[in-house]
Amino acid sequence: MRMLNFARRNFKELIRDPLSLVFEIVLPIFLLFIFQQFNIPAENYKLENFTPSIILFGFSFITLFTATLIAKDRTSSFLIRLGTSPMKSSDYILGYILSLLPIVLIQNVLFFLAAIIMGLEFSISIIPTILVSMIISIFFVSLGILIGSLVSEKGTGGLGSIVVQLVCFTSGMYFPKDSIGGVFELICNILPFEACLNIIQGTLHKNFSNLTPVHIIVFLIYFIAVLLLSIIVFKKRMISDNK
Amino acid sequence: MIAIKTKKLTKKYKDKVAVNKIDLTIKQGELFALLGVNGAGKTTIIKMLSGLILPTSGEIIIEKMNMKKEVFKIKEILNVSPQETAIAPNLTVKENLEFMAGVYQIEEKDNKISELIKQFKLEEVLNKKAKTLSGGWQRRVSIAISLINDPKILFLDEPTLGLDVIARKELWKVINSLKGIITIILTTHYMEEAESLSDRIGIISNGNLVEVGTSKELIKKTKTKSFEDAFVSIATGGEL
Repeated sequence: MRMLNFARRNFKELIRDPLSLVFEIVLPIFLLFIFQQFNIPAENYKLENFTPSIILFGFSFITLFTATLIAKDRTSSFLIRLGTSPMKSSDYILGYILSLLPIVLIQNVLFFLAAIIMGLEFSISIIPTILVSMIISIFFVSLGILIGSLVSEKGTGGLGSIVVQLVCFTSGMYFPKDSIGGVFELICNILPFEACLNIIQGTLHKNFSNLTPVHIIVFLIYFIAVLLLSIIVFKKRMISDNK
Repeated sequence: MIAIKTKKLTKKYKDKVAVNKIDLTIKQGELFALLGVNGAGKTTIIKMLSGLILPTSGEIIIEKMNMKKEVFKIKEILNVSPQETAIAPNLTVKENLEFMAGVYQIEEKDNKISELIKQFKLEEVLNKKAKTLSGGWQRRVSIAISLINDPKILFLDEPTLGLDVIARKELWKVINSLKGIITIILTTHYMEEAESLSDRIGIISNGNLVEVGTSKELIKKTKTKSFEDAFVSIATGGEL
């Protein structure tokens, strides 16, 4: 299977980049640890709420490093070589997505292990939470494919950082949106990150009271739109880069 | 037997004609060099012949297959060593070979990889990450990778660009050993490379194929003393 062969190569490229491992795994665990030391008296920072936030935070770096890998591939003639091979567009897109899923799984397992060591009560709902978050991660990988197809390697740093900031401030990870209200609350409603966090938290808590139909619709629209756009733009860029 | 045939092959970008109605026939096992100044259209021709970009008009027949209809079948039997080194940087040399063997679904991949390691003397760098290799080694690995699927047609886009004289001579030796077995289309800026390696040479100027022949034929035709002078005369339309 060409797709799996390509996924294996992408996986090796990613895990052999020490910076990617630091930002995707070490930094989120450090954040989880440090915020537990502060004992902040707010619901957001309780382990059962903050662990899903950390999962989402880790995904924002998945976007950043996926984008960097693709931008590097595009500029290094590597994709020219593959473009003359019998690989099809589906092999590329699925190869990129599949290569990230083991990293997402490792992230999730390590985040929950760290959280349990810090005091999170073990619950069987951790397993469906990991599965659900892996589905959500496909959105973040697609976003990375889209960014990596649109901009150069330098540009991925800037756009990737914006995604990281948006996840931090609009997901409700650090503070609830209604504590600011107004335009900020509207932005949080329009963007998909709060919906992602509510889905992961709801699955872990086995309680979806914070999850509204609007959240589901917003997430699905972004998920489908970004996935389709990433395929279209990647295919177009594969051709235009080689004109 | 004909390996490559183009009929009025054309590539246009808006108003600019990059490649203009090129009719080209290359025989099986021939080493055909494409020469031209920067921006003449050599790389665009290679990209079209290797199925990377679509022509605006015209036809490409490779090993009796039409590029428009059987592009994926054609891609199975060709390979390209691009102008810049095209290898996965964080993979070792061996992993790069294994990866490309997977891309082409090579059945006896271990045997093929061993053969290439021996042919290109890659033993000493086999377990080194590609990004840590010198430019010469990277180029050698890149060309080794391009033979992983035993291609019937091989495109070498400026294969010795930036190499020192010894690395260049070593690559010439490898390319010479492939002559007659594989149809090779080579682009280069080095006149002595084209003269020494190729069976025939095509000179591209402003997207047009202006002359085709052996180096001796081109020297004779332009009444010049060396192949370099012949090239300059043809590429500039006799102005220099």
